[in-house]
Amino acid sequence: MEPKSTTPPPPPVMGAPIAYPPPPGAAYPAGPYVHAPAAALYPPPPLPPAPPSSQQGAAAAHQQQLFWAEQYREIEATTDFKNHNLPLARIKKIMKADEDVRMIAAEAPVVFSRACEMFILELTHRGWAHAEENKRRTLQKSDIAAAVARTEVFDFLVDIVPRDEAKDADSAAMGAAGIPHPAAGLPAADPMGYYYVQPQ
Amino acid sequence: MPDSDNDESGGPSNADFSSPREQDRFLPIANVSRIMKKALPANAKISKDGKETVQECVSEFISFITGEASDKCQREKRKTINGDDLLWAMTTLGFEDYVEPLKLYLHKFRELEGDKAAAGSQPPPPPSSTHNGAGVPVGYGMYGAGGGSGMIMMMGQPMYPPAASSGYSQQPPHHQMSMGGKGGAYGHCDGSSSSPSGLRRHDGL
Repeated sequence: MEPKSTTPPPPPVMGAPIAYPPPPGAAYPAGPYVHAPAAALYPPPPLPPAPPSSQQGAAAAHQQQLFWAEQYREIEATTDFKNHNLPLARIKKIMKADEDVRMIAAEAPVVFSRACEMFILELTHRGWAHAEENKRRTLQKSDIAAAVARTEVFDFLVDIVPRDEAKDADSAAMGAAGIPHPAAGLPAADPMGYYYVQPQ
Repeated sequence: MPDSDNDESGGPSNADFSSPREQDRFLPIANVSRIMKKALPANAKISKDGKETVQECVSEFISFITGEASDKCQREKRKTINGDDLLWAMTTLGFEDYVEPLKLYLHKFRELEGDKAAAGSQPPPPPSSTHNGAGVPVGYGMYGAGGGSGMIMMMGQPMYPPAASSGYSQQPPHHQMSMGGKGGAYGHCDGSSSSPSGLRRHDGL
C-alpha cells in the first residue's frame, strides 16, 4: 500500500494519472486522440469521510488501472488462440444451458474464455482485499461474499453468495477496521460501486 | 483441445458436485484455481469453498452475459450469438472495463481466422469484416474499424444509450488514455500471421 498523507488537488483531466509511453514503432501520435467530455458528464464522487478509506480507495483505483493496463498488454502479446486457460467446450455448454440460446459463433467461447479469466482475477483480487483486512492468508467464501456485496457490478451474484454471509463478512470487516458503514452491501462513497474513480 | 460437447442439456437441480452433468455446469475447478492464484500473493492460500464459490460465480457470469446477448439477437431476428453481441452485453451490464481488452482480443482472433480462411500465408487485403458475414447486416461500426484510428473514433460515441449510458460515461477518459497509449501497437499486431488449426471444429455461423 502506498500511504499518502497529503491529498494533491485533483487534476483537470480525470482518468489521466498514468501516462503510458507509446510502444516502439508507434504509428499513432496523440493527435487523432479523441477525448470525450467526461468531466462534464460525470460529477465528482463525494470523498470518503475517513482518511484510511480515502487512501485505500486511491490505492485500489491505482491497482485497477494497473490491472487493466496489464490485461491489455497481455492480450497484445497473445499470438496463440488454440490453447486457452478455460475449456471452450465447457463454456459453450454453460451458454447452451439457456434454452433461448440457439447458435453460438466460434468466436463467442473464445471471447468468454478471456472475459471469464478477467472476471475471476477481479473477483479474487477484491476478495483478497477483504481477507487482508481480517489478517488472514487464506481466501474464503466469506471474502468472495464481501467482494460481491461491495461491488455493484457484481449484484447479479447475490443469489449465488448468500446475503447473510455477506452481512457477517461486512460486519467483521467493519468491526476490524473500525469504520462505520451506512449499510452492508451498499457502497458508501461511490454510487457505481467501482473503485475506479480516484477521489483526490 | 475441447472434447465432445454433444450433451447440451442443463444439469439437474440437485447440488451434488460429484454428478457428472452437474459438473458440466461449472468450469473445471483446477483451471479456476490456477487463474485465482494469479491474482493473489505467492504465500496466499485458497479454501475449497472459496474455489467452489468462484466456480459458481463464473457460470453465473457466463449465463448473465449470454442471456443479455441472446435477448439482443432475438430482437434483431438473428440466430447466432457472436463476439460483438457479448461485448455489447458486457457494456450494458456494467463490465465496460472488460470491453476494450476483449475488442483487441477478438480483433486478433478474427485476423487469425481470416488468415485460415484465405488458406495462405499472406493476410488478405480485404477488411476483417469479410469473414464475419453475420455482423455486416447489423452495421456494427466495430467491423469497419480496420485500424486504431477507427477504434479511437468509435469510443467517443455512446454506442447504446439506454441503460448503461451513465455508467459508460464514467469510463471514456480511461479508455481514451489507454487506447491513445496503445494505438500504435495495431500496426505491430497486423504483422502477426500465424495460423494454428483446430479452432474451426466449433460450430460456425
